[in-house]
Amino acid sequence: MRVIENPRLRAILRYGIPFVLIPALVALSAVLFEGQRYLIISIGIVVLALLLFMTGFEKRNIGSRRMVITAIMTALAVFGRFIPLFKPITAICVMTAIYLGAEAGFFCGSLSVLISNIWFGQGPWTPFQMLGFGLIGLIAGYLSRVLLRSNALLLLYGVIAGVAYSFIMDVWTVLWYAGGFDWGLYTAAILSALPFTALYAVSNVVFLLLLRKPVGNKLNRIKIKYGV
Amino acid sequence: MRFEQLNPFTVAVYYLCVLGIIMFSMNPLLIGIALLTSVLSAVIGGTADKKAHLFSLAVFLIAALLNPIFVHKGATPLFFFNDNPITLEATVYGLCAAGMLTAALYRLRDLSRVMTSDRVLYLFGRFSPQIALLLSMAIRYTALLRVRWRRICDSQRALGLFDDGNLIDAVRGRARVLSILITWTLENGIVTAESMESRGYGTGRRTSFAVYRVHKYDVIVMLICFLLTALSAVGVYYSKAVFYPALTMDLLNPWGITAAAGFTVLSVLPLIINGKEAIRWRLLLSKT
Repeated sequence: MRVIENPRLRAILRYGIPFVLIPALVALSAVLFEGQRYLIISIGIVVLALLLFMTGFEKRNIGSRRMVITAIMTALAVFGRFIPLFKPITAICVMTAIYLGAEAGFFCGSLSVLISNIWFGQGPWTPFQMLGFGLIGLIAGYLSRVLLRSNALLLLYGVIAGVAYSFIMDVWTVLWYAGGFDWGLYTAAILSALPFTALYAVSNVVFLLLLRKPVGNKLNRIKIKYGV
Repeated sequence: MRFEQLNPFTVAVYYLCVLGIIMFSMNPLLIGIALLTSVLSAVIGGTADKKAHLFSLAVFLIAALLNPIFVHKGATPLFFFNDNPITLEATVYGLCAAGMLTAALYRLRDLSRVMTSDRVLYLFGRFSPQIALLLSMAIRYTALLRVRWRRICDSQRALGLFDDGNLIDAVRGRARVLSILITWTLENGIVTAESMESRGYGTGRRTSFAVYRVHKYDVIVMLICFLLTALSAVGVYYSKAVFYPALTMDLLNPWGITAAAGFTVLSVLPLIINGKEAIRWRLLLSKT
């Protein structure tokens, strides 16, 4: 899906973000803020990274069918976030990614967070969550051949995704709270989030186990029947 | 025009400015003002119920306690706890961080209430029509899924296919409902895609409809926003608030006072705008 229509602007963003804008932000933080304001810099870099991923998808047209199905899977992920405690969002993103490709996985992850946060509360954490879930989808899409073949590896991916997501979001919690990184506070945050981390990992595994066969079959059927 | 009725872009800029100052200033004076004005706006605007206030209070207390317990930097120990010094600096910093978190949470709750899905869509449609289309379809399907979920549940229940009283039966029934829901929606989605294609999707530039326009009033509000933010930022830069190793505060110099004044006006800007509207409404009523 081509996010930005103008080819020149797209080229500028593609090369400008990693080679000019992000280094400039880091240099700015070192010079202007004397390396103090981690939070504002990290939010800036995360937003730029999101932009980079979104503008990086080059293929002209993903086709209206694939687009509609991606939208439906995104809606399912949003719908699933309303289930108390156990959240199937990772499982649905991974399923979308391995059947419809990395691009669809990225959009399913990032947009479902953006939409569900309309109800759960938008905040400076939204870009971080979007990038986190987007990457879970993107990486699953790149590993799709392996993940489709082996059930055990798929479940392992679910566990790793849950734990990694939690650890990364804890970095954000510490940055927001303390304004800088502190190992003591980070350990405290990880320890206090341990039940949630376990819950993430368990619900990822449970939902991947539950959804793999039925949802996989349905997506496969749609792919074969309509040639998505 | 009430504050919530302004162009979504203006509203987003306003909240970005306020949240930016709240989150990045780390200046005790501004954080105090932010806390007061956020609670005041929530009370006047009626955006937070009793439960929300209690939750914020809990966040404040936990956040304020966390820092002195885990961070032992600072020159002035107050007392020792488990052989670890509890320092004055860490306590003050914890209080400030807690105030910052609580004020930001109040503001973010306001933002979530104002930024409804159509406004989010409007903002993203500017950036990329493709993303806007994907977003609008996903939002539509979220609502549709809910309606269909209830419909399938009702019909299955009416057929006597599962019993809500029996836990295993209920879970298995829900799983079947989910399966039906997914099949139905995917098949239906293909029809949508066919329909889109036959009407010429992808053949030309996509435009999207929006009910929002940029009025002169929006520009004025945005300019005021930027001006006040710049004042506060410069003021924060020139007034000193250092926590470690020892508290060094110089908040009440002219720059510090400028920052505080500018930020106070910025914080209550929605209240001022809505208050003006309320007065005008009263005047109009009294004339007839």
